[in-house]
Amino acid sequence: MTGKQRVVAAFSGKPTDRTVWVPFAGVHAGKLKGYNAYQVLTDIEALVSSLLEANRLYDPDGQPVVFDLQIEAEALGCKLLWSDRSPPTVVEHPLAEDYAIPTSVPGPADGRIGLCLEAMKRMKAEVGDRTALYGLITGPLTLASHLRGTDLFMDLILQPEKAVDLLAYCLEVARKMAEYYAGTGMDVIAVVDPMVSQISPDHFNEFLSPVYGELFSHIRSMGIFSSFFVCGNATRNIEPMCQTRPNGISVDENVDLIAAKKITDSYDITIGGNLPLTTVMLMGNQAENARAALDLIERAGDRRFMLSPGCDMPYDTPSENVIAIAQAAHNPDLARSIVQACENSATDSFDIPVEIPDYASRAFPLVEVFTLDSSSCAACTYMMAAAKDMKDIFGDRVEVVEYKYTVRENVARCRAVGVKNLPSIYIDGRLAWSSIIPSRNEFKAEIEKAIASHEV
Amino acid sequence: MEVAMSIFDDISLSLQTGKLKETKESVQLALDEKHSANEVLNALMDGMSIVGDKFKKNEVFVPEVLIAARAMNGGMVVLKPYLVSEGVKAKGKVVIGTVKGDLHDIGKNLVKMMIEGRGIEVVDLGTDVSAEHFVQAAQAENAGIICCSALLTTTMTEMKNVVQKAENAGIRNSVKIMIGGAPVTESFRKSIGADYYTPDAATAAEVAASIFATVKG
Repeated sequence: MTGKQRVVAAFSGKPTDRTVWVPFAGVHAGKLKGYNAYQVLTDIEALVSSLLEANRLYDPDGQPVVFDLQIEAEALGCKLLWSDRSPPTVVEHPLAEDYAIPTSVPGPADGRIGLCLEAMKRMKAEVGDRTALYGLITGPLTLASHLRGTDLFMDLILQPEKAVDLLAYCLEVARKMAEYYAGTGMDVIAVVDPMVSQISPDHFNEFLSPVYGELFSHIRSMGIFSSFFVCGNATRNIEPMCQTRPNGISVDENVDLIAAKKITDSYDITIGGNLPLTTVMLMGNQAENARAALDLIERAGDRRFMLSPGCDMPYDTPSENVIAIAQAAHNPDLARSIVQACENSATDSFDIPVEIPDYASRAFPLVEVFTLDSSSCAACTYMMAAAKDMKDIFGDRVEVVEYKYTVRENVARCRAVGVKNLPSIYIDGRLAWSSIIPSRNEFKAEIEKAIASHEV
Repeated sequence: MEVAMSIFDDISLSLQTGKLKETKESVQLALDEKHSANEVLNALMDGMSIVGDKFKKNEVFVPEVLIAARAMNGGMVVLKPYLVSEGVKAKGKVVIGTVKGDLHDIGKNLVKMMIEGRGIEVVDLGTDVSAEHFVQAAQAENAGIICCSALLTTTMTEMKNVVQKAENAGIRNSVKIMIGGAPVTESFRKSIGADYYTPDAATAAEVAASIFATVKG
């Protein structure tokens, strides 16, 4: 099965050969290529190259193209404030004082919508045959709050007719955005509405049910899938959300995914989530990430579930953590044995003798690649391939070995060498790269330096 | 059997349902009936505390809290001159803001409203507040608590600077530092040496009230 087929199967309630994996790499994708949030969200080359790198490293079944909930707001005149490591923030709400609802919706060239469309077309051409691509649009409640500010919440009670009018306008924007994105070949339109967790089920039913029902029906009529992304504790709104008939719902760690899945299952809706963004993905280690993913996979079962982060990944999420999660989705048995080995390594006395090479006395540099298992982990495969490439270039002047973590002796070696993350490349016993796969030129330069030092 | 509703019940109920006009009228009526300003304040606080509890239990949401807080503010405008003349003082003072680089203030505003609902004075420093500003404001206002809010994983690390600056300024022993926001956790609090992490606005208000109760006690 291709990733795309897996996503289609999951949305259709059919079994998949392995857990469907949809990482949300927005600004984090930029980090993989050394771009800040502003660059990756405004420059087409930075954006596409970063998305392709995320696709290569994390081997996703589904992938959002642009994760920025300010696209529509910006096109409608909201002023944004940019920062280096997170998506921009809306700082001025045009309807805060004057409740003048705009009369026209943004065109395909307004703001950064053109950039999104171009990125979608290019990603479709590059990976669209195997990866299901997600076009993300800002949900009507969140867009309305960008336009109106916090007072929108009080409007629901104090001037409901105004709120209804504004949400009807935001629905029109969402319909149009869905059409633009569908036109580039997006497989899924995800409507992202974090504010939904901040209102009651009664308010959801009164204000959002008609809006969302119409939006998902519109997306359905275009022959593509829809997903409803929410952040925060949306527990009480899961059922009303289901009643608006999206194909999928994605939640974060504030929602008990297993309890919510009972509801989504009863509506034949696929649930996605909900790896903890901060405590696990940002601050945890590889083993903790693999364990969190495996735990979720085991509890959620193999139908109508997609493994995803709770929301857009933090910029600084260590890529090795995401790689560990990908490994759990791609090959849970192997990931389980790796987690086991990690846990044992804390207590295992390792009576296995590990011989650390005497690097300095060797005639040639030694490249040691520590992997989860290069035959099943995409990032490990690329890292090993990069090392083999050096062997092809330098021939007998360099030696390359792979240590797979699936072998107990290698676990002992990792501990002896002090390897913290997998995959990693060591040159003559010194850490050269961890998780990030070096470019050919970078790698060559390091090998040449190492050869020179051996010649001395 | 019919249970007679007291004027204090009227105040509490109209606040809970966010009825601004009724809240102001019942506050005025209670004062006209010669109830003490302190008793009226307790009725308002009782209403806000019930709203906070329901918010914590996911029974009411942001819109309901915002209009209840609006009603509370309306009641307070009527009550304030009476509090002043009776010499009723705030239970303590808090400075609050979102940390440097963070402009998301819905959560911060909810915390502010809930803390005010406990009869505590809140000095709102707004958004994008530097660590220095938090500390200087706490000193200038003689505040017992600094409350820091962050929505982003990239800005929450600023909270550590607030703790550090408070230490450098020599006020760490006289001020409690409370933190909160979507990505913040108890383990993060421990790692930066702040005093309290609270997961929601109602709990934040409870903790703030208990801090001042302890100080007074």
